[in-house]
Amino acid sequence: MRARLLAVGWAMAFIALALILCGIIFQASGFSAPDMFASILDGAFLSDGALLHDLRWACPLFVSATGVIVAFRCGYFNVGTQGQFYLGGIGAAVAVAMLPHAPAVLVTLAAILAGMAFGALWAFWPGWLRIRSGTDEVITTLMGNFIAVLLLVWLTSGPLKDPAGSGQVTSSPPIPAAIRISTDTGVSGWIIALTVLVGVVTWILVNRTAFGVLGGLAGRNPVMVTWQGARLSRLGLGAFLFSGATAGLAGAMEVLGPDGRLVSGFSPGHGFTAVLIALVANLSVSGSVVVALFFGGLASASLYLPVIAGLPSAAIDMVNAAIALFITARSLPAWLRLPKRNRS
Amino acid sequence: MIDLIVAVLRTGTPMIYVAMAGVLAQRAGVWNLGLEGLMITGACASVVVTEQTGSVALGLAGAIAFSVLLSALLWLVIEKLKANPIIAGLGLTGLGLGGTDFGIQAVYGSEGAVTAPAGIPTLGPGFGPFGVLDLLVIAMPVMVFAVWFLCRRTRFGLRLTASGEHPFAARSVGADPARMRLIALLLGGVLAGLGGADLSLGGLDIFSTGMTAGRGFMAFSAVIFGAGHPVGAAFAALFFALVEFLGIKAQLVFGENAPRDFVLMLPYIATVLGIWISARLRGGALLSATEMRDG
Amino acid sequence: MASALACDGLTVRFGAFTALSAVSLSFPRAQIHAVCGQNGAGKTTFARACAGLLAPSEGSIRIGDALLRGGQVKDARAAGVELVHQSFALPPSFTIAEAMEFGLTGQRGAVFTRRGLQARWQPHLDALGVEAKPSTRIRDLPVETQQAVEIARALAGNARVLILDEPTAVLAPSAAAALFQRLTRLRDSGVTILIILHKIREVLAVADTVSVLRGGRLITGPDAVADLTAGRIAAAIIGHSPAKAGDAATETAEDIGALVGTDLPHGHRHTVSAPHAIATLAGITTKPAADGQSLQDISLTIGAGEILGIAGVEGNGQRPLVEVLAGLVPLTAGSVTLDGTAVTGLPLAARRNLGLRIIPFERNTEGLSLSSPLWENFAARGLLAKSALSLINPSALRRAAHAAFQSWDVRFTSVDNPARSLSGGNAQKVILAREMDDAAKLIILAQPTRGLDLGATAFVWQAMRDARDRGLGLILISSDLDELFDISDRLVVLQGGRVAGQFAPPYDLGRVGAAMVGDH
Repeated sequence: MRARLLAVGWAMAFIALALILCGIIFQASGFSAPDMFASILDGAFLSDGALLHDLRWACPLFVSATGVIVAFRCGYFNVGTQGQFYLGGIGAAVAVAMLPHAPAVLVTLAAILAGMAFGALWAFWPGWLRIRSGTDEVITTLMGNFIAVLLLVWLTSGPLKDPAGSGQVTSSPPIPAAIRISTDTGVSGWIIALTVLVGVVTWILVNRTAFGVLGGLAGRNPVMVTWQGARLSRLGLGAFLFSGATAGLAGAMEVLGPDGRLVSGFSPGHGFTAVLIALVANLSVSGSVVVALFFGGLASASLYLPVIAGLPSAAIDMVNAAIALFITARSLPAWLRLPKRNRS
Repeated sequence: MIDLIVAVLRTGTPMIYVAMAGVLAQRAGVWNLGLEGLMITGACASVVVTEQTGSVALGLAGAIAFSVLLSALLWLVIEKLKANPIIAGLGLTGLGLGGTDFGIQAVYGSEGAVTAPAGIPTLGPGFGPFGVLDLLVIAMPVMVFAVWFLCRRTRFGLRLTASGEHPFAARSVGADPARMRLIALLLGGVLAGLGGADLSLGGLDIFSTGMTAGRGFMAFSAVIFGAGHPVGAAFAALFFALVEFLGIKAQLVFGENAPRDFVLMLPYIATVLGIWISARLRGGALLSATEMRDG
Repeated sequence: MASALACDGLTVRFGAFTALSAVSLSFPRAQIHAVCGQNGAGKTTFARACAGLLAPSEGSIRIGDALLRGGQVKDARAAGVELVHQSFALPPSFTIAEAMEFGLTGQRGAVFTRRGLQARWQPHLDALGVEAKPSTRIRDLPVETQQAVEIARALAGNARVLILDEPTAVLAPSAAAALFQRLTRLRDSGVTILIILHKIREVLAVADTVSVLRGGRLITGPDAVADLTAGRIAAAIIGHSPAKAGDAATETAEDIGALVGTDLPHGHRHTVSAPHAIATLAGITTKPAADGQSLQDISLTIGAGEILGIAGVEGNGQRPLVEVLAGLVPLTAGSVTLDGTAVTGLPLAARRNLGLRIIPFERNTEGLSLSSPLWENFAARGLLAKSALSLINPSALRRAAHAAFQSWDVRFTSVDNPARSLSGGNAQKVILAREMDDAAKLIILAQPTRGLDLGATAFVWQAMRDARDRGLGLILISSDLDELFDISDRLVVLQGGRVAGQFAPPYDLGRVGAAMVGDH
C-alpha cells in the first residue's frame, strides 16, 4: 500500500513538473499561464456539462488504455493504439455498410465485433513480426499508425464516401440512429456497459489469471519464463491481440456512438492519450479509471478552449506531450527504465 | 534522370541530417524517438526567426538553438530522471508538434502557416538543373562523412560507441556514458535543427503546422535500417526519398486513377519491410527495445 | 620504500549494506599480491575501489604518493592503476585494435586510420605474446584470448599497478598456469600486481603475499606467502568455526577443502543399487549457436540416484547441452529420452510435466525475475502447467510460496518483496525450492554455487546429495573442478562440443585437465 501511494506521489510530482514546463511556454508565447490553466480547468471540469463531456471522452480512452496495460505489462511496447483504434472504426463502418437490411441490434453487434476484429488484425501483424523474427514493435506499430491514417483517408474519400457530404473533412454517410449506440452526447447505457465490461474483464485477466501473472513475469524477464517452459509466442500474441481488440472496440464505440459516422482523422490524439493513461496509472486497471476521467477532461477542454475561451487547442496537446515526457521518470516499474548494469 | 536525382536529394537531405542525429544518439545508447519533434522545431524556428529578423543565418541559428535546447531537455529527463527513453522521446515529439502549432497560433493567429522572406541560398541558375539545390544539400555529403569519421575513426567515436554498447566498459576506461550521451544528443540537436531548417527554408520557405508529416520518424527508421552506420542511414533516407518521389510521379502519370493514399503509404510499408528484413538478417532482436528492459 | 598502493580505513557502503569495512592495507612495489576470501567477502568491491570505479564512503586510497579521488577512474589510470574485470569489459563489436585504442588517454593518435590503428597495436600484442590479429572482433575470440586482450589493453598505457579480478575463474588449469607465467614476467619488469583469487592452491603457486578478506573486513595481510601454509590461509578465509557459516552445513573435511581450494578432492565411489536410466541422449548434434557453441555427436546416460558432473572450460558445449535437455534448441541429429518417454520434439513445458527441472546458468536473469515479487517467481512453474486463462487465487499462491520458503530456510521478509531483495544464497534457495519439488525426476544444475558463500554452497551440495539419495538423477555443470571432484559420482568432460573423456572416482587432475584442453 505504501509503495502504491509512493507511486501516486511520484506521478503527481512529475505531472506538476510537466505543467510547470507548459506554463513557461504559455508565458513565453505571450499568454498568461494562470489564465490558460484556469480556462483548461473550466473546460475540463467546471463549466456546464463538462463532466458529461469528460465521460464521453473518458470511456473510449479507458477501453483503449486497458489494452495498452495488457501489452505493456507483457513487455510489448505497442504504441500502435491509434492505428488499431482507426481500424476498429473502419471495421464498424464497413459492417454497417455491408448489412443494409439486417435488424438494427444485429448490425450493432456485428459492427462492434468487426471493430474488435479489425483492431486485433492491426495488432496481429506487428505482434507476429515481433515474435517470429524480433522485428521491433515500437517502429512497426508506429508505422501502422501512419498507414491506418491514410487508409482512413482513402476509405472516407473513396469507397465509403458520403455522396451528400461536403466541406473539407470527408466522412462516411451517417449511421441510422437505430444502429448507433449513443446520440451525439456520447454517453449512453450501451457505452457505459461496454466500458465497465471491458474494465472488469481486463482486471480479472491481469490480476486473477495465470496469463496475468505469467505475462507480467514475461514482461519483466522473458528469459526467465522461457526457462520455466512458457511459450512467449502465445503469451505475446495474446497480449497483442487483446490490446488491438480493445483499441478496435474503442474505435467502433466512437463511430457507432458520438460520431455517428466514420470521419477522416477522427480523435487524432486518442492512441497517444491512451498510452499516457496506462502509464500515469502505473499499468493498473483500477487506477486508470480515475486517470482516464482526468484525460477525458483534458480532451473536452481542447474543444472548449478555441470555441469558448478563444485560445489555441494545441495547448492541450502540449500538456499531454509534456506529461508523456516526464511520466515514466521513476513512477514506472524498474523494467521500463534504462538498464543499470551492476555486475558484481 | 537529373530531375529524379535533384528531387531525391532535396527530399532526402532534411531526413539525412535528422538521421545523422539519430545515428549519434543510437551509438550512445539512446533510441531517439524525439527526432520528429526536433525536426519540426527546427523547421518552425528557422522560418519564424528569418521572418522576424530577415536574416537566414539567424534563422538557421534559431533552428539549432531550439533543437539543442529540446535535446538537452530529453537528456535531462532520460539520464537524470531515469525516464523511459521511448516514451520520453514520443513526448518530446508531441511537445515539438504541439508547441510549434501553439507558438504559431500565439504569434500569427490561427493561420497555421508562416512564410519567410528568404530561404537558404541555392547554387543558382549557373548550375542548370542542379541550381535549385541549396547549400545544406551541397554540404550534406560532407556532413555524413564527418559523422562517419567521428564515429569510426576517432577515439571519441569509439568511446561513444562503447557507451551505448557496453556502458560498463566505457566507465572502466574513465569515460562517463551519461556525458557521452549528452554530447551525442547536443550534437544531434544541431544536426536535427539544420535538417528541420532545410525542410522549410530549403523548399517553399513556408512553415505550416505538422509539415514534417512523419519524416522525423522516417529518419529514425533510416537509422535502424542502416544498423547505426552513418552511411547506411544516409542511403536509407535517400531510399525513402526515392519512394516518395516515385509516388508523386505515379500520380502525375496515372492521374486520379492512382490511389494517392496507397502511394503515400509506401515509405511506411517500406520501413516495416526493411526493419523486418534487417531483423531477420541479424537473426533476432539485436536492436530491440526489449533488450533495454531490466530483468 | 613507498608502497605501490595503500588504503587507509577504506569503507564502501551500498545503501545500508557495508561491502568493505575499514580496510587498511599497503602493498609493496613489484610483487604479486593475492587478495582472497569467500564470495561476498568484498574482494571485487576492493578491486573496483582501488581502480577508482567505486567511491569510498570513508577512508582513502593512495597510489604511490598520490591520493586517489574516489570514483575517478581517470585519476586512477593516470596514476598507473589498471583493472582487468572478471567478466570482461570490452564492447563485443570492437576489433582488438579498437579495444586497445578506446581506453587510451593522452592526445596523441586521437584520430586514426584503420590500417594505422592495426599497425600501431600489432607490436604491442606481439610483445605480450597475444596470438590474434588486431582486426579480429572481440566477440569472435575464445575466452582466454579475450582475457589476454583485456590484459594487453590494461598494459597499453603506463600501467604500474595491475589489478586482476578472479582471472582464473574462466580458464582451464593449463591456461591458468600460462597466465601465472605472464604475471611473473610482468612483476619482474617492475609492475605491481594485485590478483583476486579464489583457490588457495593458486595463491601458493603465484603470489608473493596474501591478504584475506572476510565479511568486508581485513582478517590478515599482506603476509609473505613463504611463511604460510594452506591450512592457515584456509582458517583465515572461513574463520575458525566453519560449521557456523551455514545452518545446514555439516561439511566434511573434504567439503571444506573443496570450498577453499586447498587440495583437490578425489571423489567417492557412490554405488547405486539397480540403477536405471532416467535420461538418455543419443547422438546429439546441434548447429552452432550465436556464441559458436554446438554439440557434436553427444551420447550420455544419466541414471536414477546419480550425480553426473560435467566438466570443461566454459564455452565448450555446456550451454547447448542444457538447452538440448530443455528442448530450447533444435537438433540436427539425435534423440532425447526422459524417464522412458521419447521427448525429442517436445517443448520444455511437456518435459517439465515429465519431471525435468532446471537450475539455469544465470541465476539473476534465467532463474529469477529480479523485479518481480518472490511469490510470482515461485509460482511460475506451477502456473505454466495450467492453461493460460485458468483463474488463480493469489493469496493461496502467496501462502504456498511462504510455506515452501520456510521449509527451504530462505531468509525473506515478505513474499511480496521483489527477488532482488534477497542475497545470492537465498535467491538460489528460492530456485531450489521451486525446482526440487516432489515430482522432480531429473534436475539439471548449471553453475548452482557460482557466487555463493561457503554456507550457501554447502547447503546446495547437501540438497543435491539428498536428492540423489532419494533416487533422482542430477546433472551438475560447473567450472569449478574442486566442486565437481567432491560431489560427482561420475564425470564427463566436454571439449569442443564433444565428450572428451568419462571419469570415475578417484579422479586424477592431470587426466581430467588434459581432456579439458583436448590433449588425449
